[in-house]
Amino acid sequence: MNPLRRWLAPSHPAQLLLGLTLWSLWFVALYGGLSVACELAPPAPGQGVLTAINGALALLTLATLGLLGWLAWRGLRAGRGGVGGSRFIALTGAGLHLFSAAGVAFVGLPILALPPCL
Amino acid sequence: MSETMRPTPEAERLHRELEAVWGNPPGWRGRLSVVNHSTLGLRFMATGLVFFLLGGVLAMLIRTQLALPDQAFMSPEIYAQVTTMHGTVMMFLFAIPMLEGLAIYLIPKMIGTRDLVCPRLTAFGYWCYLFGGIILFSSLLLEMAPDSGWFMYTPLSSSEFAPGPGSDFWLLGITFVEISALAAGVEITVSILRTRAPGMALHRMPLFAWYILAMALMIVVGFPPLILGSVLLELERAAGMPFFTVAGGGDPILWQHLFWLFGHPEVYIIFLPAAGIVSTLIPVFAGRPIVGYGWVVAAIVITGFISFGLWVHHMFAVGIPQLAQAFFSAASMLVAVPTAIQVFVWLATLWLGKPRMTVPMLWVTGFLVIFVCGGLTGVMLALVPFNWQVHDTHFVVAHLHYVLVGGMFFPLVAGAYYWLPLVTGRMPSERLGRLGFWLTFLGFNLTFLIMHWTGLLGMPRRVYTYDSAMGWDLVNLISSLGGFMMAAGIAAVLVDLVLHGRYGRTAPRNPWGADTLEWSLSMPPASYNFASLPRVESRHPLWETPTLGDAIARGEGVRPGAAHGRRELLGGEALTGRVRELIHLPGNSLLPLYAALCLAVVCVSLLIRLYPLSLLGLAGAGVLLLRWSWENGGHRRAAPLGHDEPEDPPLHSRTADGPGRWTMEVALLADGAFFLALLFGWFYLWTVSPQWQMPARSPLSLLLLLASGAALTLGALWLERRVAALIRGREAGLVLALGGIAALGGLHVALLVVVLLDAGLAPTATAHDATLLVGLAYLLGHGGLAALLAALQAWRAGLGLVGARLPFEPGVVALLWRYQLGAYWILVAAMALLPRLTGGGP
Amino acid sequence: MGGVPLSEGRGGRRVNPGPPRRARLRGAGGGLTVALAMGAAGCSGSHSILDPAGPAARDVAWLWWGMLAGFGLVFVAVVALWLAAFRPRERPSRSPEAERRLGLRWILGGGILLPGVSILILLAFGVPAGQRLLPLPLPGGESPQVIEVTGHQWWWEVRYPDEAGEVVTANHLVMPVGEPVDFHVTGADVIHAFWVPRLGGKIDMIPGRINRIRLEADAPGVFGAQCAEYCGVQHAHMQLHVEAVPPEEFEAWLASRREAEPESPDSPDEHASARETFAAHCASCHRVAGLAEGGIGPDLTDLGARATLGAGTLAMEEGAVARWLAEHQRLKPGNRMPAHDHLAPEVLDALGAWLETLRP
Repeated sequence: MNPLRRWLAPSHPAQLLLGLTLWSLWFVALYGGLSVACELAPPAPGQGVLTAINGALALLTLATLGLLGWLAWRGLRAGRGGVGGSRFIALTGAGLHLFSAAGVAFVGLPILALPPCL
Repeated sequence: MSETMRPTPEAERLHRELEAVWGNPPGWRGRLSVVNHSTLGLRFMATGLVFFLLGGVLAMLIRTQLALPDQAFMSPEIYAQVTTMHGTVMMFLFAIPMLEGLAIYLIPKMIGTRDLVCPRLTAFGYWCYLFGGIILFSSLLLEMAPDSGWFMYTPLSSSEFAPGPGSDFWLLGITFVEISALAAGVEITVSILRTRAPGMALHRMPLFAWYILAMALMIVVGFPPLILGSVLLELERAAGMPFFTVAGGGDPILWQHLFWLFGHPEVYIIFLPAAGIVSTLIPVFAGRPIVGYGWVVAAIVITGFISFGLWVHHMFAVGIPQLAQAFFSAASMLVAVPTAIQVFVWLATLWLGKPRMTVPMLWVTGFLVIFVCGGLTGVMLALVPFNWQVHDTHFVVAHLHYVLVGGMFFPLVAGAYYWLPLVTGRMPSERLGRLGFWLTFLGFNLTFLIMHWTGLLGMPRRVYTYDSAMGWDLVNLISSLGGFMMAAGIAAVLVDLVLHGRYGRTAPRNPWGADTLEWSLSMPPASYNFASLPRVESRHPLWETPTLGDAIARGEGVRPGAAHGRRELLGGEALTGRVRELIHLPGNSLLPLYAALCLAVVCVSLLIRLYPLSLLGLAGAGVLLLRWSWENGGHRRAAPLGHDEPEDPPLHSRTADGPGRWTMEVALLADGAFFLALLFGWFYLWTVSPQWQMPARSPLSLLLLLASGAALTLGALWLERRVAALIRGREAGLVLALGGIAALGGLHVALLVVVLLDAGLAPTATAHDATLLVGLAYLLGHGGLAALLAALQAWRAGLGLVGARLPFEPGVVALLWRYQLGAYWILVAAMALLPRLTGGGP
Repeated sequence: MGGVPLSEGRGGRRVNPGPPRRARLRGAGGGLTVALAMGAAGCSGSHSILDPAGPAARDVAWLWWGMLAGFGLVFVAVVALWLAAFRPRERPSRSPEAERRLGLRWILGGGILLPGVSILILLAFGVPAGQRLLPLPLPGGESPQVIEVTGHQWWWEVRYPDEAGEVVTANHLVMPVGEPVDFHVTGADVIHAFWVPRLGGKIDMIPGRINRIRLEADAPGVFGAQCAEYCGVQHAHMQLHVEAVPPEEFEAWLASRREAEPESPDSPDEHASARETFAAHCASCHRVAGLAEGGIGPDLTDLGARATLGAGTLAMEEGAVARWLAEHQRLKPGNRMPAHDHLAPEVLDALGAWLETLRP
């Protein structure tokens, strides 16, 4: 098996880090994207929540959410069938993916409520 | 569990054999050359204790000054130094090194091995810590201590507003101490992943090791941003490069980002090992395995990650857009979840077991009460509008002491009472332990519970005095009285610590009925820990086999003794713990001490601005470190090739994937964090800095950069090919090839120097040029090191120290080349290409 | 009255901007009274977050009481559960599977559900509460009063921009009551922080940037404010006297300041020698309208109208300025004004007496 595929298998220890790494990347993209967008093209303050920036961030959030959800489901399925160490990794990894997904949803909530650049 | 173990003749023989190889040498010179993890772990902790007491004295000075309004006990200048140093000493010179020391001492014993993988690095780390700490603390005795607060915000800490050497002491001293932390972080990570006892798969590892693994990795990723910040600020102070000065295109807020990028994870770096102590003690005193092992592991991983996404919550008042603040606010609240998981895991374990309220458990209870309170105020502080009100008031001071003292100091004392019998073989006093606990616990709450109120009444932190009309008199007086009470409690614990070694009753074997491997050792443990290495089949080896210790001492485990005269560990697969190789370790050495001394010379000469001397010191340190790396692998002072080589498993230097490779990878992870922080700084200044000046044309010659990069790329590819060939057993022409690769590295560096000279940068005029200079210097340093190491490999190949039978080292050097390749092109893209594409910045 | 609705300086030698009446009671009594007052008036104080005087601060005060109640409950419950676990009791014998399920229930209930619900509720309350401080456009389309505040080591420069002419004060801020006021803040040297605890919020004053915060006062009054970001040795003595007055009074005050007769260097009165001393020793740093432009230290045009000297170090009363001039490096060590104790006491007294008359 090539190394990348091995790393992405549900029973590889990298799964313990993958979910939250995705969470971190999403978080950095969210904060960085917002900061850069606000420097380059801040929308008028009166526009409220309905701006292109909020829209783009929300899309990014949904996409990340979908990916994490799928990874969690995959881990759960693999964990049910596994034994010993690989079962432990797959199930813990699935839990971490689930948490990351919840984290994405929770941290993303303010996108729906706050104007971007004030 | 036999009360006293009568050693069998076989055990005696093994002990003598191992002691001859592993024992610490006698005499002063010998003591300075010790690399043993037990000795060094204890040295770390003893030094940390001294700094804790010094920091505690500073705290008492602060409380004396604030006890009454309008006090003139200390002048404002001295008060500023004292508060700054209290925070600095407690965070950098006590909390982190103390926990590192604990990990260095315990981890090999818990995971069933004889030492950490890089013993000389342990010693180097200790000396760096000691010298850095002494240099930093000496500033207070010279009355020129840093006085800008322990987070050293610019411009207050810059040369204009802090012209004395105080800030330099802080920046240089802390960086020195951080080298020590990074060293420990790297080797602990690799040790936990690669040297666990045979059969100790990841899911059988003691939870403490999970916590320490997370701590170590967080140090590796979390400390470099502050090192970068310190380097930049020192460059600004010493050489006038305006990274943080608005007029030159810099931004003081960049410092805050870099500081808190480190600073917030730091809190969890301190908390996680302490929580690890709690998670170790609770199952032992509840007499049952922890409930939800996997949940705890998940909680540790979550904490480790999320804590890197919280740093802006220290900066809610700097005027960041509210939506961005809301992200950090939500992320800060999120971290409550893994903490709550752990708290309820502990509760469930207690409820489902039969807990005993021993002295260690008393301290754990103190931890719980205080830490839960601190955690809850932490969630309050995550709420932006509330944070705006209480930020930088005594409410925050109270909160952070609840989290740090509750979250670190109480578990630490619990751990001390728990593990003291192992270290000394004697039991501490029950009575003093309880007295100390109650005084500390009540004193602490008296000091800091009321301090929340002080903050709500509007008292800002770091004021050296206050007026009676403010209405802060009584609360401050109560806080001060509580502070002195707490000091009395700590004194009682100290008395116990000192006296128990002499008057304590002899401890029985495994006195608490624990389940982890360290309790299978003799008390105090021998220099080599395990006479033979244990085979582990469950999470609770001592509960399964209470007589494991005797069996190990009799040599009934794996690889008993040391007839070969080498210091050996078993190297295992990271996931399963299956044995892969024999790791041979270097013995005692004075090189770490000398190298650290050279760095101390660098540090002091920078402080007194004697720059030529600092260059000399740096060169000396470089030579010594290279000499240190020279005595590896097949070198005659390491493990020279012989006829009776072990085959199954082989020595690690005879394989392609020994722990040194892992050490390099983890070290490069730290380097990568530094690099990312640098990239962040570049883009941050570019987009956010108020007066950023981007020249219309990039001063870096693209053509020369491409040529330099081509040399690097060629060299790196060639090296990869040679490494692959070497693993397949082909060594013909190795010397020449490595020489050629080194020459390409030299060309790469030379062309880069031309780029630098050609650019005509004015680093003192604009932050843009200064950042470019730092970026180029970073590449030059790494390129130079890569070329130098390749040249040394050619030399070693010529001497027969590298070859088909010793294929290990070129692969390690290739990792550095690979890294430099990535860093180079990324930096070229970010600093030379992107500005051309966007046509200069806003 | 010169249009200056000030609270007068108090008898106390070194005070800070007027603590409210209830707080002052505390100074009067002995130990027992103090303790009682703590209970009764524990929340009040010139800088108390829990004694809000504006909508933003009130939101936060309510937030605090709510969180205290909710989290207090959580805290007591967790500690009680912990202690109860140590109580000697019969453990029913359970199968490992039953124990596992029980453990899972603890973790899901306490570790996931409890914090999850708590932080959701918190976020729901927290986000709207923060919006009040945003400088959003007002519903009517009119722009709120803007006051510019600049932090210096260790004093405050306050400017009231207006087409009709700018008014400048130092260490003393006057604002209209009952309407939102936008504060535009920055730092002149290091980072300071603008914070009027009883009105709410807190915002850093950063060199090179202008931060904005919107505050509103409900009723006329005097509020304490203190620099909240550590800014050097005299961070403790960087107080701002904030005074909220009805809008018409605010306008009248602004107008009276704008139209005040400037000092003249050659007014033939008893202060002529003091003006000369000022020109020789003070004018290169301090502004007094009509006499000198200064530009480094605080504007002294209205010094006599201040409540305190040295940004809250010394209460303004007769003779206070002369005392400040003689002793300021002892009262506020390290402040940026050079010592003037080489001048004869009579000279300082005369200078002080004149400066105290500056009440435009």
